[in-house]
Amino acid sequence: MISELRNPLLTLLLLSCTAHSYATACEGSPPTPTSLLEYGTGWGIDERNTRFQPNSQITSENAGRLTLKWVYALGGQAPRSHPLITQDTIYIGSDGVGVIALDRESGCERWRFAHDGPIGSAIVPGRIEARPILIFNDRTSGVFAIDATDGEFIWHASIDDEPIPWYSGTPLVAGQSVYLPISSLEVGLAANPLYGCCTTSGGMAALDIATGQKRWYLPTIAEPAEKTGSHYLLVSRYGPSGAAVWGTPSIDADSNLLFFGTGQNYSHPTTDSSDAIFAVHADSGEIAWMRQFTANDAYNASCNAISLNHPNCPKPLGPDVDFGAATMILRNSQGKLHLIAGQKSADVHALDPQSGDLLWSEKLGRGGIIGGVHWGMAANETLGLLFVPISDKGLDEYPSPGIAQPGLYALDIETGERRWHYKRQDRCADKGCTYGLSSAIIATNDVVVTGSIDGYLEVVHAATGRLLWSHDAWREYQTVNEMPASGGGFDAHGPMVADDILVVSAGYGYVGNQRPGNALLVFQVEGENEP
Amino acid sequence: MNHDRGAPLTLASRWRRLAATVIDAILVPALTLVLIMLTNVLEDAEDYADSWWILHVLALAILSYLLLNGIGLKRRGQTIGKKLMQIMVVPAQALDHPGNHIEPASLWKLICIRAWFFAFLFVMVVPWIFLLPLIDHLLIFSSKRRCLHDILAGTIVIKTPDDN
Repeated sequence: MISELRNPLLTLLLLSCTAHSYATACEGSPPTPTSLLEYGTGWGIDERNTRFQPNSQITSENAGRLTLKWVYALGGQAPRSHPLITQDTIYIGSDGVGVIALDRESGCERWRFAHDGPIGSAIVPGRIEARPILIFNDRTSGVFAIDATDGEFIWHASIDDEPIPWYSGTPLVAGQSVYLPISSLEVGLAANPLYGCCTTSGGMAALDIATGQKRWYLPTIAEPAEKTGSHYLLVSRYGPSGAAVWGTPSIDADSNLLFFGTGQNYSHPTTDSSDAIFAVHADSGEIAWMRQFTANDAYNASCNAISLNHPNCPKPLGPDVDFGAATMILRNSQGKLHLIAGQKSADVHALDPQSGDLLWSEKLGRGGIIGGVHWGMAANETLGLLFVPISDKGLDEYPSPGIAQPGLYALDIETGERRWHYKRQDRCADKGCTYGLSSAIIATNDVVVTGSIDGYLEVVHAATGRLLWSHDAWREYQTVNEMPASGGGFDAHGPMVADDILVVSAGYGYVGNQRPGNALLVFQVEGENEP
Repeated sequence: MNHDRGAPLTLASRWRRLAATVIDAILVPALTLVLIMLTNVLEDAEDYADSWWILHVLALAILSYLLLNGIGLKRRGQTIGKKLMQIMVVPAQALDHPGNHIEPASLWKLICIRAWFFAFLFVMVVPWIFLLPLIDHLLIFSSKRRCLHDILAGTIVIKTPDDN
């Protein structure tokens, strides 16, 4: 274990010493972020979170010619920012560095918005009247708006309704509002046995896009936490708590309903709002309906610390099968809307968006605290298919029962029927890794792009599940900014595609036993005929 | 404290000094932990909304150090660990005047200079800061076994002489 830690620590030390002083500045090329919205409205590509990119020429015919174009070394060892691509610029967040606008062709740096904190969201485009802006989260300090043209600071907002909010989910920009998912640092603080677990709630906030001022805030647990007892260190226990919102919400423009899922409770007593799907009126935050899928699920990070006998580990212990992945609103072949929600239990549910009635459910793996469905799915409504990445990663400290069935699944949007399952090859024997799909995925044309925990970026045929192309990122890279960069496991927000390029961050070492890295990889389709 | 006139002072062995440090490094955090539990400074979510909890814990750690060692340092130049290991901190000049009455090093030097190096032992995980205690303790291998904190405070550590 120590030997595993040594290299990352040395790398961190090296990176902290050099502090990205070698960024290569562009000469004479302005950012020109015209038609910023053309390549998507944010994390979900559209407000329904389909994660289907209509503006891409990457297909099953040319995916085999994807070639590494350039690599940029990011800060940190667990890149968690999702890129925004425009005609000539790639915007990305870099931990300890800030938001960087990179020339799409060469990787040179157009500008940077310097920021020390951990940027944990997608870079989301928006507009204040005609001014193009970018919205992003610092995981601990809140949400920021900056000018997309030059990186000028516009506003910063945080939520004062909760004492220690965690801004983990990417905001959704819709109309004149920024919808901000709220989680809580408590899930980790509970690992401190002297912390009185737990009192905070998850929530959803709506902010004015022009000013960042709060329009409404909805906690997912309405009742305040109360003392429920104390443990042998004389520390009080509190509840209810938790039901954090981790994923980007989706919105149905016709009904103006906003949808999002919640996580587990952190302590007892549990609530009916944990592991649930919320539908709220986007203009008021009033709940239209709420449906819970797993009751009595109480869990926090103390349950991974040394043993399950930690005084803050809830008893009875729940399975920690929250809705971390973003909800999706998909149309079936008749045009009827299905609200899709993927759970860490590996269950995928389809609901009627208006009533919350269950249309179908399908269980695809064994699930666990790292998923099941972890970060996000994608869809191709033309093919009538929902693509579901399954992680099924187990942790030594908290093993999951059952047989792992990692890989990519395709389900019929209308019925939930399985169409195909791409079983990934286990190549982890020498790497000490797992090979599931935890990262969010993306679809375009007739392909699906995935990144795996064991470091393979893959393009799969959407209709058949056949592997078309892969890239092993478990390696070192030469970078355009002349900094050391290593690849590693793919996780978090996953790949992005636009036109003929594929952009992804490699090396998410945030979760145990995953190779850390800091490489932003940019691939392009090359060849005589396409695109 | 009196000392046999003419008898040489004996420098404390490195092993005794190490053992004394280990004892102190167990006792001070243990009392700090108890004080944290009694005062609940880490219990509430609001405590983590800013970085004040770090100062609260630091204040309790300093209080613990003073409660455990303050009187011993003032009277005998000894922390609990040093008392158990029968060593004491005295002014460096004591070596040059072995026949004189031995006084412990002055309290302000023990607290304001030497004690801070003890605190650095607990933040060795911070990049670059680990160099300070490392250099500090490597100097124990000098001829007079004076660590950096001894040099800065003008002290030496000797084996406690027998009381008359």
